[in-house]
Amino acid sequence: MTSPEDRGPSKPKVEVQFDRPHRQYETRDQLAVRYRIEGCDGEPIRAIEHSVLWYTEGKGEEDLGVHFFQRVTDRTMLPPTTTAGTFSTPLPQSPLSYEGVIVKVRWCVRVRLFFDGSRGFVSEHVFEVGCIPPARMPSPRA
Amino acid sequence: MRLPRFYAKKRGHRRTGSREWGVVGDGLFHGALLVAGLCFGGLLVSGVAAPEWRINHEFRESTCTILAKGLAKTTVADLPATVITNWRPCLLVRYSANGVMQESWSLCPTAMSASDREVALRRLSGWTLGAETICWYDPTAPQTVVLQRGYNWWLWLLSLLLPGALVLIGGTGLVRVLRAWGKSEEHRAASAGISEMLDPLAQPALAAPGYPAVPVCDDLVNSPGTVLRYRLPIESPESWALVGFGLFALLWNAVVVVLAVGAGLDLLGGRTDWWLFALLVPFLGVGIGSIALFIRSLVFATAVGPTQLEISDHPLLPGGRYEVLLTQGGTGTFRTLTLSFELEEQATFRQGTDTRTEQLVVWRQPVASFDDVSAAPDSRFEMRAVVAVPKDAMHSFTSAHNAVRWRLVVRGTPERWPEFCRTFPVVVFPPGVDMPEVPSCPLVVHAGTPPQEVSS
Repeated sequence: MTSPEDRGPSKPKVEVQFDRPHRQYETRDQLAVRYRIEGCDGEPIRAIEHSVLWYTEGKGEEDLGVHFFQRVTDRTMLPPTTTAGTFSTPLPQSPLSYEGVIVKVRWCVRVRLFFDGSRGFVSEHVFEVGCIPPARMPSPRA
Repeated sequence: MRLPRFYAKKRGHRRTGSREWGVVGDGLFHGALLVAGLCFGGLLVSGVAAPEWRINHEFRESTCTILAKGLAKTTVADLPATVITNWRPCLLVRYSANGVMQESWSLCPTAMSASDREVALRRLSGWTLGAETICWYDPTAPQTVVLQRGYNWWLWLLSLLLPGALVLIGGTGLVRVLRAWGKSEEHRAASAGISEMLDPLAQPALAAPGYPAVPVCDDLVNSPGTVLRYRLPIESPESWALVGFGLFALLWNAVVVVLAVGAGLDLLGGRTDWWLFALLVPFLGVGIGSIALFIRSLVFATAVGPTQLEISDHPLLPGGRYEVLLTQGGTGTFRTLTLSFELEEQATFRQGTDTRTEQLVVWRQPVASFDDVSAAPDSRFEMRAVVAVPKDAMHSFTSAHNAVRWRLVVRGTPERWPEFCRTFPVVVFPPGVDMPEVPSCPLVVHAGTPPQEVSS
């Protein structure tokens, strides 16, 4: 999933490739990600942030837990000099991905681009940790 | 440069306020508090604290002779169309300042002032004309002299506490806003060390070491059981209702008493305030109703008797089987008594200016159920059963606004009382190699009771 935070002169695209084809991981697995940035049209980028995080979704306010965070500001590691990157991290023991009724826990990788000026762009890619079946409402008889 | 939007879109279809404008508003609010605190503090320090400090540290000591006595009169206009008069004793003294003889009026301390002239005169009579006493004069303005020194501690406390609180709240808020300025939400979350100190109320519950977002279970394992390893603490909605009814009855009837005393004094004074009486009647009705409700809840809470639950191990693990012992005290017969294992989701969200919390049970497993249970004061009802945690169970989860909670729930229907529900929270950990082997206990059968277990 790629969603622009702002409308700007260029429409960047971040292609992310996980080391597991189905994006399915277990706790304490090593997560490795390779990404490629396209469509910046020469617009200068001053920083890129890589993060691996979980967030909640559903009826409640969104909560966030960052497991891995890396900010790259070295110009030689940024487009247009370098348009691809990798990062990896061992996953923690919790929380597991969960598809509840009013509470959902999702894991994702985010690649955030900071253009010169105040413009930003974030690309988010969801993956699964664990294998918890979706919650269902219990029958009234139970 | 473009201004940030006033509205941003959250996940899904909800629109929320713009974070950028929220940060600007937050910064302005805390900045205003900081500036107000600094200004207020500055005024108090320069107007009260600094002059007092100068008298105690910079004024020079000398000996003076009292030449004359008088009262300084001040009048302050007060609404409606009245004035307040204040009399403050003052003394004309002669003293040597820097080798030069000076004569000057010295005001006595503010504490000697009085609104009654006679009182001020009596206080002034403590000074004798022609007597010699110690004085302190200002070396930079020798005509300024005082006959008493010391600190007015409550003024110092006031000048420190009020502006200090404003500066502290405004300053920490401003630092928090400035630290977050221009950072992504991941960056802010990743460097949450100081932010946690600056905003401790916004932080989620304590997580178990090595298990992010899994609640600690220290409070659940600090009470040993009589038969099994741990006795679980109870979360009883009836108890909270009882406390709520009690507080409401206390506060409401305190108001009623104040109104009734006012009405009674009016009656004794020969006046009848019909509006007060008209207000008192419905208030009295609600007050009596609240006391009746509290007594009913109290009788119900004590009549049903205590419920206790012990468990063979804790925290629980997916795929584990745990022996539990349920005991029910009290007297009388329960038409039904059931024990179930439940998973509840809890979400806290803002709706307008309110903060609401919604709970929803998304999984329920009956563990045991009994009909026509009898309990007596000398023989409580006991029941053993086995709780099985599904292999693919979600672990307990808690964050600032969301939670997934496991709990054992006892529901009963007493013969002569309404149904009751008592909850015993437990913590389920995610499967991990650091934890001990998943326990497996045999099915335990209570004497004379059929085995009750439903595997998932």
